[in-house]
Order: sequence, then C-alpha cells, then structure tokens
Amino acid sequence: MGRKVAFIAALFGALALAGPVQARVEVQWWHAMSGVLADRLNELVEKFNTSQDKYTVVAVAKGNYDEVTNGVIAAYRAKRPPEMVQIAERGYMTMLLSGAVVPVQDLMDQKGYKIDFSDFIKPVASFWSYKGRMSAMPFNSSTPIFWYNKDHFQKAGFDKPADTWQELEKQLYTIKSKGISECGTVLPGDFYWSLLENYSAINNQPYGTLANGFDGLGTEFVYNKTKVVSQVARLKKWLDDGVMQIAGQGFSPEHLFTSGRCSTFVNSTASHGNIERNATINWSATFLPHESDVNPPLNSTIGGGAIWVLKGHTPERYEAVAAFLNFVAQPETQVWWHGATGYVPATNRAYALARERGYYKDHPTREIAVLQLSRGTPNENSRGFRFGNFVQTMLAQRQEVEAVFAGQKQPQQAMDDAVKRGNEILRQFEKLNAGKTPETERP
Amino acid sequence: MAGGFRAPVKARRREQEAGLKRANFGDGPGLPTLLLLPQLLILLFFFFIPSLRALMQSVLLSDPFGTNVQFVWFDNFKMLFASSEYRQSIAVTFWFTVAQNVLTLGSALVLAFATDRIVRGRSIYRTIILLPYAIAPAIAGILWAFLFNPAVGPLAQVLHGFGIAWDPNLNPTDALILVTLAASWKHICYDYIFLVVGLLAVPVSLMEAAAVDGAGPIRRFVSIALPMLGPTIFFLTVMNFIYGFFETFAIIDAVTKGGPAGATNILVYKVFVDGFVNLDLGSSAAQSVLLMSFALICTLLQFRYFDRKVNYGV
Repeated sequence: MGRKVAFIAALFGALALAGPVQARVEVQWWHAMSGVLADRLNELVEKFNTSQDKYTVVAVAKGNYDEVTNGVIAAYRAKRPPEMVQIAERGYMTMLLSGAVVPVQDLMDQKGYKIDFSDFIKPVASFWSYKGRMSAMPFNSSTPIFWYNKDHFQKAGFDKPADTWQELEKQLYTIKSKGISECGTVLPGDFYWSLLENYSAINNQPYGTLANGFDGLGTEFVYNKTKVVSQVARLKKWLDDGVMQIAGQGFSPEHLFTSGRCSTFVNSTASHGNIERNATINWSATFLPHESDVNPPLNSTIGGGAIWVLKGHTPERYEAVAAFLNFVAQPETQVWWHGATGYVPATNRAYALARERGYYKDHPTREIAVLQLSRGTPNENSRGFRFGNFVQTMLAQRQEVEAVFAGQKQPQQAMDDAVKRGNEILRQFEKLNAGKTPETERP
Repeated sequence: MAGGFRAPVKARRREQEAGLKRANFGDGPGLPTLLLLPQLLILLFFFFIPSLRALMQSVLLSDPFGTNVQFVWFDNFKMLFASSEYRQSIAVTFWFTVAQNVLTLGSALVLAFATDRIVRGRSIYRTIILLPYAIAPAIAGILWAFLFNPAVGPLAQVLHGFGIAWDPNLNPTDALILVTLAASWKHICYDYIFLVVGLLAVPVSLMEAAAVDGAGPIRRFVSIALPMLGPTIFFLTVMNFIYGFFETFAIIDAVTKGGPAGATNILVYKVFVDGFVNLDLGSSAAQSVLLMSFALICTLLQFRYFDRKVNYGV
C-alpha cells in the first residue's frame, strides 16, 4: 500500500515538474503524407520543436488528401478546426473562397515576420498567391518528370529518351519489338495531371478560358479543341499496340517500372525516395517530352500541397503558427526537405544553396524538376490551373478518357463530353461563389 | 401483442403465474419505455437525425465549409435525373445487386448442402468456409484485384492461358464481373451460416422417411429441405439486397474505384465520391435520399410478392 502511495506521489511530483514545459503553446497540423514522406515530415516538425521552447507543433496524419480535406471540413463545421492543414493544389479555389482561412501573407505581416515572398520560384509563387499575396505557405511542391530504364534504352541502341513525343514513340516501339521489355511505358495513376494538364502547359495549349481560370470564375474548359485530343488518341494507340500498360487498382504503376517490367514511367519528382529505395534497375530521369512542332517547350506546372491556416484560434496560437511557417520558409529547411523527399525547393535561395553545396552533382535527377518548372517564360497556358471544383471536373474527365481506353468512345467525342460535363460543374461553383472575394481580413 | 398493458390485472397475474410467454413489466408504460430508451436514442442520433439532415441538404446548394448556403428547391434531383452517369449508375447497381444475390445465395446453398452431407470433419469445413467473413472488405477487394490483375495476377495469367483477353482495367464487363465475384465471395459466409442453421432445423424424421421411400440426397434436399428453408432464404434475399446496396462500397473502392468509364460506379459508391471526394454535398445528399428510397421500395416489393410464396409452417 505504502509503495502505491509513494508511486502516486512521485507521479504527481513529476507532473508538477512537467508543468512549465506544458506551458508551450501547442498547435495542430493535419497532413496527408504517408510512408517515407510522413517520416520526413515528422522529422521536420521535430526539428522545429527542438529549435525553440515556446511552441509545439503536433503533426497529425489524417489519411490521403481527400480524407484530410474532409476531416478539416468536418472539424471546421464542428467549430474545432486544427490551426494548420495541408491541402492539395487541386483544392486551391475551394480553400480560397471557403471563408474559413487566414491568408498566410497577412498572418506573417501581422506577426512581424519578414518573408521575401518574391523569392519563391515562379510557378510556386504564382500558383499559391491571389492578387500577388500568398494565400497558403507552399510546402510540398512537385512536378511530373520522365523516368526511364537506362539498360533498356542502351540495349535498344539509344543514349536516352528523345525530347519529342514523335521520336519517343519510335523508341518505345523499337524497345517493344526487340523484346527488350514487355511494355514501353505504364500509364500513371494520375495521368490527367502529368499527361493532360502538364502536357497542355508544356506544349503551350490552353486548357480553359480566362488564363486557365486565373482571371475569374467564368472560366470554361477548351481542351477539346487542342492537342490534348490527339494526345488521348496517342495513348489509346499505345495501349492497343501493347506499348503501354495500365497497372490497375491495388497495384502501383511505379512497381511495373521499378521491377524492370516497363521501360519508362511518368511520375512526380516526389517519388525519388521510393524509387531509390525500391528500384532494382539502372534508372534515370529526364524532362517530359514535348511535341516536335512546339519550340521552345514551356514550363511544367506544380502539384503537391501547401499549408493553409484556419480561422477561429487565439492570437497566441497564431504566434506559434507564424513561427512554424517562418521556419518552413527558411532556405535551410527547404534544402533539407528537398534532399530528404525529392520535392522541389520552393525558393530561389534554397535552390541556389543546394547548387552551391554540389548537391546536384551527386543527384542530377533531382534538378530536373526545378529546371523544367523554370524553363522559358510562363504564359497564360503554363502558369497553372485554377478551376473551382477541380477534383470533380478531373474525375469526369478521367471517366471519359477511360471510355476511350475501353473502346466505347472516340477521343474527340470523349473530350467534348468531358468539357461539357466539366463546364456544368464549373457553373455550379460559379453560382455558389458569385460575387465572393476571398478573405483579406486580419486574423 | 397490442393492448398488452390494458389487460385486467387479475388476468395478467394469472398469466404470470402460469408462466405464459408474454412478458410483464408491472403497471403503466414507465419501465418498458425506460428499457427501450437506449435503443431509441441510438436510432434518433444515428438514423433519424442524419436522415433528416440528408433530406434538408438535398434541397440545398452549399460550399463544403458551410459558409455559403443557397436553397435550390429540387435542382439537385433534377440534375441527377438529367445526368446520364446517374442513369448508368442505376443500371449498374441493378445488375450488380441481382447477380451478386443469385451468386451468393446459390453458392451458399450448394456449400450448405455439401457440408450437411459430410459426416467427418464437418466443423473444420464450416470454419474454413466462414473464414472470409473475418476479412475486412477492403482487404478482400485488394486480394481479388491482385489475383485478377492482368499484368501480375496469377488467376489472370490462367485466363490469358486459355486465350481469354481478361483485363478489368480496360474492359467494363470484366470489371463488373470481378467486383461481383469479390462482393459475392465476401458475403457467401453470411448466407452460409443461416442456411446451415436452417438445415439443422429440418426434422430428421422427415428426411429418414423420405430416404426410406427411396428419395436420393438431392431429391430430399430439393423437395424437403429447400421448402423448409423458405423463410431463411427470403430473409437472406432481403439482406443480400441491402448488402449489395450499401455495404459493397469498400470492395468497389479497392478493386475498381468505380471504373473503368463508370462501369462499376454503383449508387452507394457514387454517393461517396460525390460527397467525400467531389465535395458536392447537395447532390450527394439527394443521391442518398434516392438510394434509401430504392432500397425501401425493393424491400417492400420483396415482402409484398416474395413473402407470399414463403411457407412459415413447419
């Protein structure tokens, strides 16, 4: 009995000692990272927490991007939102017009942090800002690049994949006909992002009106009148000829590439970590191909996520949030994150720092994303995509492309239908958000 | 049953003393109400309030965060009926549910009959057949998706060996077959449990008499056991419909994600995608209201027409 009392007393004593530590302001950050990326993210948060003694950031994994979005919506409606949430780029308009967020640049100004937002690399800065002010803190920015099996290309007598789709097609058919690999390429799970949206940007094709939605809510899709149609037809042809395979549900396209079954693969630069760990092949990566009659090719656009700050918290907590976001924006942090994950360094200074340290000499493929993102002068077609209900329009488009693959529709018909369905969805969003301007009030 | 509380006190006492079936809770409705309350509260919070909210949401257009809400009358419903994907989804759901029902019940009946015939090691067989029920639907889905994956799946290779161009990633029919098989496989054990228990209730004397008269095992099963299983089969049909309508969502998500080209986009999966991925809450709510009505109509029709053919007397 006596021992029990002593134990309880000791416990209380320990709690009393822990008291002052508990006085740290604790804020929550909900995120969508998993696997290797989640481990890195936790390391990042740990770095911040140990770097000072005033604030504690608690990182909470809430599933994939959709699940995080749903979680934060439910929490906001129940009036218990986290302070910060990582949202994918496709959710930009939903978050911007939600009335539930505090613009990041306003917060940083108010809390007295001087962040040089003009130093963010162009595609990142222009995507995450509204009217020149940053809405969310860019965190994990990526872009699709072209991964290939060096041995397969060498065996077929090529140095590396060609720059243009036309030449590349010949190479892939050669590889297939020589029996070097079973399939030339594998359809990425997010092909709408890499092979349609980024394809449009790189080849200077308009995707929607009003500068792909940057100039207002009245935007309409137009990709049924551009080279996207012939791109879909090309993919269908490759599929029919067995040059391209679909991995399907429950099986990742990445595995078909890393196991040496398929010779090439288009995927995000963020898969560096996984590919380095899993690949048993002699791999490399290069720029995405472009059409032979497009010269010069433009920049690709970003995907990934940013950190949004939610309304409804106390000033002390916003102090903590601002301190953390400031930490995230530091070049040192950016360089570390870039190296640890393969995501793009968000600022020019971070990129310069990584170069200075000779990082790209050892990891040449890590530089491709930055070079591809900052290639040429971004114009209306390549600045990015800003559509309301973007996930919904994308799913409709994907369904139509699948109808082409299944042989139910011709590419032109499918793209016409996708645009029609997409425009109806855009009109719903416009109706709901008519006359709304994003919040600019101070927290 | 009705009017139980109003029976004269004396008569009720007598029943109590005689140990008759009716339960007694003293005078007045107090105690029975109290005992029912937890269940009623659960129904209120997990069924009635959500249903009401779904009804309300189905006539609203609102942004996900709920900061802007517009009343749009029946626009959500009108848009649904005007959309060809929704009609496709209804058709797919119909085929999927019916095929799944026939397949599940048929296989469960065959298995129940077979294990009923086995004398040695019967319980081992039963346990093995019941195992899939312990597997989470999503995992079952992944398993099937992998086995039949055209690039790496062993069973797909077998099919390819027979010269069948099997590819559920491309071919809508293949995809529908695959999810139907996966969903049925997962549910056979449920039907099987009920049928095994039902078979135990078939009087041995009847079976023996039939055997003496020269009826073979199949004849005995079809002419004696099956009619006596009528009520069980009827119950299972209703449950299978509800399973197909509402609980197959995880399997679809793991095996096909509703694709290709919407070929396996059954109603409940569409509700999920439109609500939780597309954040189109109004349309999703309207769909769940309709889905509930479909399920209700199906169940009512079954009770109205199918129930008549069921013989409850033993």
